[in-house]
Amino acid sequence: MNPYLLIVLLTSLGLGTALTLSSTHWLLAWLGLEVGTLAILPLMAQPHHPRATEAATKYFIVQATAAATLLFAAINNAWLQGHWDIQHMSHPLFTSMITLALLLKLGLAPMHTWMPEVIQGVSLNTGLIVSTWQKIAPFILLLQIKQIHPPLLTIIGLASILIGGWGGLNQTQLRKILAYSSIAHLGWMVLILQHSTALATFALLIYIFMTSATFITLKKCKATTINMLTTTWTKAPTITLVAPLMLLSLGGLPPLSGFAPKWFILQELTQQNFIPHASIAALAALLSLYYYLRLSYSITLSLSPNNLPECLQWRVNYPISTPLSSALPAALALTLFLLPLTPSALTLII
Amino acid sequence: MLKILIPTLLLIPTSWLAKAKWLWPTTLLHSFIITLFSLAWLKNTSETNWSTLNPYMATDPLSSPLLTLTCWLLPLMILASQNHLAQDPLVRQRIYITLLVTLQLSLIMAFAATELTMFYVMFETTLIPTLILITRWGNQMERLNAGTYFLFYTLASSLPLLITLLALQNKTGTLSLLIIQLLGPIPISPYVNIIWWTTSLLAFLVKMPLYGVHLWLPKAHVEAPIAGSMILAAVLLKLGGYGMMRMMLILSPLAKELCYPFIILALWGVLMTSSICLRQTDLKSLIAYSSVSHMGLVAAAILIQTPWGLTGALILMIAHGLTSSALFCLANTNYERTHSRTMILTRGSQMILPLMATWWLITCLANLALPPLPNLMGELIIISALLGWSWWTIIFTGAGALITATYSLYMYLMTQRGPVPNHMISMNPSHSREHLLLTLHLLPLLLLVFKPTTIWGSAY
Amino acid sequence: MTPIQMTFSTMFLLGLMGLTFHRTHLLSALLCLESMMLSLFLATSLWALQLSTINIATVPMLLLAFSACEASSGLALLVATARTHGSDHMQNLNLLQC
Repeated sequence: MNPYLLIVLLTSLGLGTALTLSSTHWLLAWLGLEVGTLAILPLMAQPHHPRATEAATKYFIVQATAAATLLFAAINNAWLQGHWDIQHMSHPLFTSMITLALLLKLGLAPMHTWMPEVIQGVSLNTGLIVSTWQKIAPFILLLQIKQIHPPLLTIIGLASILIGGWGGLNQTQLRKILAYSSIAHLGWMVLILQHSTALATFALLIYIFMTSATFITLKKCKATTINMLTTTWTKAPTITLVAPLMLLSLGGLPPLSGFAPKWFILQELTQQNFIPHASIAALAALLSLYYYLRLSYSITLSLSPNNLPECLQWRVNYPISTPLSSALPAALALTLFLLPLTPSALTLII
Repeated sequence: MLKILIPTLLLIPTSWLAKAKWLWPTTLLHSFIITLFSLAWLKNTSETNWSTLNPYMATDPLSSPLLTLTCWLLPLMILASQNHLAQDPLVRQRIYITLLVTLQLSLIMAFAATELTMFYVMFETTLIPTLILITRWGNQMERLNAGTYFLFYTLASSLPLLITLLALQNKTGTLSLLIIQLLGPIPISPYVNIIWWTTSLLAFLVKMPLYGVHLWLPKAHVEAPIAGSMILAAVLLKLGGYGMMRMMLILSPLAKELCYPFIILALWGVLMTSSICLRQTDLKSLIAYSSVSHMGLVAAAILIQTPWGLTGALILMIAHGLTSSALFCLANTNYERTHSRTMILTRGSQMILPLMATWWLITCLANLALPPLPNLMGELIIISALLGWSWWTIIFTGAGALITATYSLYMYLMTQRGPVPNHMISMNPSHSREHLLLTLHLLPLLLLVFKPTTIWGSAY
Repeated sequence: MTPIQMTFSTMFLLGLMGLTFHRTHLLSALLCLESMMLSLFLATSLWALQLSTINIATVPMLLLAFSACEASSGLALLVATARTHGSDHMQNLNLLQC
């Protein structure tokens, strides 16, 4: 892609999210969401193959519908209550509608079906943007509105954790697996959202670190299916060494950073006497852990029988160093070693 | 505590910077020095039981034998793995040692933690190195299955424990072991009480493992490399027993009747798993099932919550740790020579490796609890504690002891006696490394005969 | 709920139902989206009229501008889909299904 064009698109992406984050008015928030959606569409559709176009189309329809619904609810709220403030929204019906629209934008459980397909269709870099940066704006909006129906978010959160786990079990495509993992992680955030916004933000932050590390790693190995992962050791030995830890961190095993958000979320839930919810969420996270484990089996923990040309991947498929891959060590460090530092990280956020 | 932790941590640079030729001797010596220092933990002069206190860690008579056992096992694992890693590239050997050291670090921190949450985190931390050990360095394809079983059995049972611990923290405001045993009974409703009791103990009962949830253990043992089997049998299972003893102190006034089904299940498990041993063809699997049966006794002893029970459990845990680890080393010497775990293929080794047969004899005798070894002391104390609880248990424990003797004899006869198969004739003679390894397993066992108070725990 | 609000809400919801239940052509989906946006345009402009203030008179213009951008990128995607998939049938967009 033309670098000037790329700069315009990337700055628009940043602009869209920044606009949403800094607005108190629903119209501006909507504008920001729209700018973000419109800016990422060329990035998605840029490789001219049918899957990319299809992913862009699906993404466009879903995001446009969600944004329109959001604006519709905001206008109705304005008609009834006479203001457009994000934080003072209080009409029960329209607040729920906005919540659902934002959850559709984020891709949570009953409205999640677009997410794996879109991520599957786009390149890994764009997938990284869709599953991290594009989540920030809707999520921050979700944090700002007052939640009127607490069970709604709880049910959707638990359903997302379960479906994110179940959906990924049967996949062989890495990007689909990552999409399901993203659904499950967002489920955790939505589950805790109404009890502690700081924890939800913290979970989002850790999720962004872990997902970035994973996407960059896959990009560096040029892998899109589980089978392609099996020759990682010929191309990038160091990544091979660290990859299972990174994946288990995504799965939330102590002592890796991924455990921190889960731990604090469970603690908050038990403090608020939602012990059944906490138990379901904790056990449902094991479903996701299964596919992370399967990925780490095929990357590092087993040598699959490959023929000689496959083992000489480093000759033809030498891992290129892109600007993105220079961020890998930092992302990996944050993915693996953050747990002992979490008390101070939490005080930064709260 | 840092006196041990920092040198253990520095084993990692040692393993990466040592010259190829001196890699194994250096790390071995280094870890032996650590072990030597760790022996100081066994001498407890404190009146409150807790010594070497710092804000997060401490030792007491319950944890110090297990800590020393952990430190003792690291050099032995390094000694045992040398041969089968000799063919690997150097980097992979270094990674392997790093992995063992990480496991050691997390185990030390788990046993020494004074905070239950930290204990939980470290308990889970041991999973990752063990998982990698099993699935990366195991031999057969089934190792991946075994790794999955291992991880998911442990996690599925221990995540409820995490939630219980967090709830307990909300109720009492602290999870420090130093404080929590001074608190009175915690007021909760009977239903919550039942769930609470079950979830707190289930994690450890699965780790022990209790009969019925033991299926991960034989798989993990059979598929793991020698160091993995050793550390699993010797220390990781004891993590379950240790955790149970710690939780029992907190839960003890709460539920008496709830233990009964679990005690019965544990004793039934002793009978069942030792009977399974009688018809095993796979040597490592036999040893694994014998571990399950011994751990069943330990579980029953902990569950009746008498001082004798706890003492017996701790003694048997330490003794069994050394014995089963030695048995796995012996099985590995056979495996390295014949590349088969099937007993029928490795008959008659007495003719070929006569000195090894001595080790086999001593270890089998230790396994069947021959006097005066600590194994016997542990089993006797447990049996009499159980007898004091209900005399019906003598049927189970007696039959269990009988079958244990039978399968130990079976194992010895199967591997050592009988005609030598033709494929066994050109076998390597035993290395002095292997003799050293077994000496180092059996020596502490024999020395403990002279001063068993070191592993009696705090109850006496 | 005032009649005006009722009217544009009905418009919007009809558009949304059309989008969700009538899934033959991509073009019809885009038309439904456009009708949703137009109903929103109606709602904002009527709101400005209702309050009779020019402070928010820019809102419908902004909205219209953005919905035009959205519609044009939707049409661009329609063209791209027609070129890659051969037609604009929604059934054809099945390459990425599990």
